[in-house]
Amino acid sequence: MERETLDVDVLVVGGGPAGLAAAYRLARLNAEQGGEPLMVAVLEKARAAGAHMLSGAVLDPSALTDLMPDWKSRGAPLDVPVRDDRIYFLTARRALPFPVTPPPLRNHGHYVVSLNRLAKWLAEQVEAAGVDVFTGFAGTELLYEGDRVVGVRTGDRGLDRHGERKGTFEPGVDIRARVTVLADGVRGNLTKTLIRRFGLDAGRSPQSYAIGIKELWDVDPDRLPAGSVIHTMGHPLRHEEFGGGFIYALPEGRLSVGFVAGLDYRDPLFDPHVAFQRFKRHPLVSNLLAGGQMVRYGAKALPEGGWHALPRCHADGALIAGDAAGFLNSMRLKGIHLAMRSGMHAADAAFRAVREGDVSGARLSEYARLVEEGPIRRELYPVRNVHQSFAGGLLAGLLYSGMSLVTGGWWFRDPMPSHAGHERTRTVKRYFGGGVPPEPPGVPIDRALTFDRLTNVHYSGTRHDEDQPSHLLVADTDICRTRCIEEYANPCTRFCPANVYEIVDADAGAGKRLQINASNCVHCKTCDIMDPYQIIDWVPPEGGGGPSYEGM
Amino acid sequence: MTLVIAEQRGGVLNPATWETLAAAQQMNAPVTAAVVGARVQDTAAELAAADVAEVLAVEHEALEPYTPDGFVAALAQVVEATGPERVLFPHTYQTRDHAPALAARLGRVLIPDCIGSKDRDGQRVFVRPMFQGKFVADVLPEGPAPHFASFQIGAYRADACVRGAAAATVREVAVQLDAAAIRQRPEAPFKEAKQAVDLTQAERIVAVGRGIKGQEHLPLAQELAKVLDAELAASRPICDSGWLPMDRQIGSSGQTVAPKLYLAVGISGAIQHLVGMKGARTIVAVNKDADAPIFEVADYGIVGDLFEVVPAIVAALDGD
Repeated sequence: MERETLDVDVLVVGGGPAGLAAAYRLARLNAEQGGEPLMVAVLEKARAAGAHMLSGAVLDPSALTDLMPDWKSRGAPLDVPVRDDRIYFLTARRALPFPVTPPPLRNHGHYVVSLNRLAKWLAEQVEAAGVDVFTGFAGTELLYEGDRVVGVRTGDRGLDRHGERKGTFEPGVDIRARVTVLADGVRGNLTKTLIRRFGLDAGRSPQSYAIGIKELWDVDPDRLPAGSVIHTMGHPLRHEEFGGGFIYALPEGRLSVGFVAGLDYRDPLFDPHVAFQRFKRHPLVSNLLAGGQMVRYGAKALPEGGWHALPRCHADGALIAGDAAGFLNSMRLKGIHLAMRSGMHAADAAFRAVREGDVSGARLSEYARLVEEGPIRRELYPVRNVHQSFAGGLLAGLLYSGMSLVTGGWWFRDPMPSHAGHERTRTVKRYFGGGVPPEPPGVPIDRALTFDRLTNVHYSGTRHDEDQPSHLLVADTDICRTRCIEEYANPCTRFCPANVYEIVDADAGAGKRLQINASNCVHCKTCDIMDPYQIIDWVPPEGGGGPSYEGM
Repeated sequence: MTLVIAEQRGGVLNPATWETLAAAQQMNAPVTAAVVGARVQDTAAELAAADVAEVLAVEHEALEPYTPDGFVAALAQVVEATGPERVLFPHTYQTRDHAPALAARLGRVLIPDCIGSKDRDGQRVFVRPMFQGKFVADVLPEGPAPHFASFQIGAYRADACVRGAAAATVREVAVQLDAAAIRQRPEAPFKEAKQAVDLTQAERIVAVGRGIKGQEHLPLAQELAKVLDAELAASRPICDSGWLPMDRQIGSSGQTVAPKLYLAVGISGAIQHLVGMKGARTIVAVNKDADAPIFEVADYGIVGDLFEVVPAIVAALDGD
């Protein structure tokens, strides 16, 4: 069967804030600079624009205002200004308010938003500006000529679970581009291969990640005024675990309730989903949610490594933007504005490179210069060691973070040394010093306040065609049932927030085996990040599959 | 007047028609049934048993075999000749094929896949599920009558259709069809899978879940299905493991069913499964975990080991 090809000047992979900002900027440059307009296209794996977007979220509108000064009159969904910021330290029963809100967490002038609505609206603006947004198509591999990236191949459709062609088979399309902007999100599957091929992370700190799990709740509208922002530290996490909870109030009694846990925990039995349930059972949260209804669920990993963990973001014919690169300020708990800003810089560099007919990495390194000289470095450099300092525990992290506000982030060793999160997970034997590990803190599931993973997944609206090859490639499932079960007690069954991984009895009583429920996957990427043997490879399922976030 | 379009194939009435008639009878308006095909006298007579004002037999050679063009042309004439307030269909594959085209031809609204209807200040409101059954929406049709709606299979009970004291009159309705204007030429019907099964039509279903443990235990469930004269179905893990074909999967990624009896064996009752079977009239669950959510929807629950309970049921039924 003939494979179709499409030629464009700039291809943006990923319809999130970074990719859409890049596309919009390119459309504006086309309009402002005159001449033959560049042809621009956006690939998005979700069936509808924004359907895979999930964030807290509190938006710093600075980048949006620079991208589109008239966002207000264009009906941007920034309806709820932050009215009130509170931080609590939680003990098992009590909530101790911080006397003052630290400057990085002050959100005056910011907005409580739904990222998935924001992305949907942004995609409409991009399409109205003349850019094609191809939803339902995932980029599955980069196309190269020599060492130059020349585009992306999209996934085949209509393969059955054994990889055989069904009646509906359609081969993927080759989209050839002079510059490819990879905005494929946290742990993006294409960015991952590009970084590996060219060693773009050489000499950089390893990227560290966290997982965010979130629910939308409908509660009595008088519970919490819209625009209220609450962050918590402490319970249910221990001193050694990084993370915390958030509650953002939207209008009409809708609450965005979530929990972020660092994917660098030592305890192999730690379970982020259980931690989230325990967070909801804390009186501070359960009192807000009492009598309410959980209406939506989702999860997504986020890059926390900051400035020192950014890879080189340019190669011949390619640029990396947004969460794919790691443009996120973990001290301010914000990344959307940096994602957009990086997309705008990438667009500027790509536009000039295409116009001048030189798309080499050297020419595209203008992107790095724009990042260095612009607001991104100004914001990220002073907090470059903050996330790493939490490796020493909560107290060390807080002390260093406070100090960095004065010192500009200086430390004796800069970059502060760090490890990839999955390397920090200890074996059961080592963590518990031999013997039988204590029963981890469980949580009663009442399906009113607390939910099991499978029920939660239902509320993510996740759909995949069941009859397709698994998109979670486990290189060696023997490791799961022989080594991992002994060494780490199969942490995939805990860190996956969507019940994708299960250890079940093998047929005919032959021990255990790994069961992969790929159709439950919410595309959070945690397994690809956190598996201790690094044998799980997340690749895109057939285009259009995945969660269907609405209002997240 | 409410016009109900019956569905027949080869002279056999689709039982979902009775459900739609039941829906129509609750709308406080006279009901007329129409059946369309080349030879429909027998099915029309069968329909006349229902408590309806009359039955329209719409016959034309060009209506056999079924084509969407033929049915749209014929039904458009029937609707225009009878002037109903609304036209109701059972939500079958055939309805999905031609009802949207019919509504578009006449420039009227179609509300598909409804599960109920109600009167609100003299206006007929239709109730339909959204978001995989998570929400239900009340839909008020706008624009001139007639309004078109289709009813989900299992939303009403066939035996809720009120029978008339005497058989209703059957009236033949002539339609003008130009065989040359029918653009489709159907091939002989075939079923893709060898034993493709339409679980939505099954009156009794035995469904197995992970509690069955291994493929080698499936004959136990098959035996139970046999003595109950039931279809065998399964939850996702069973079909995912390839123990049963995917067309027997019940739930959000499989089929939605509403049989008279649903016997869930070793199924915990994840919400993904429940949305596919909670419309069953009687649900019986066998599970060894007393806290399994299946018991929240079950009418009868047996907490026990299915490997003891199922053989006991089989033995009891076999003894009849």
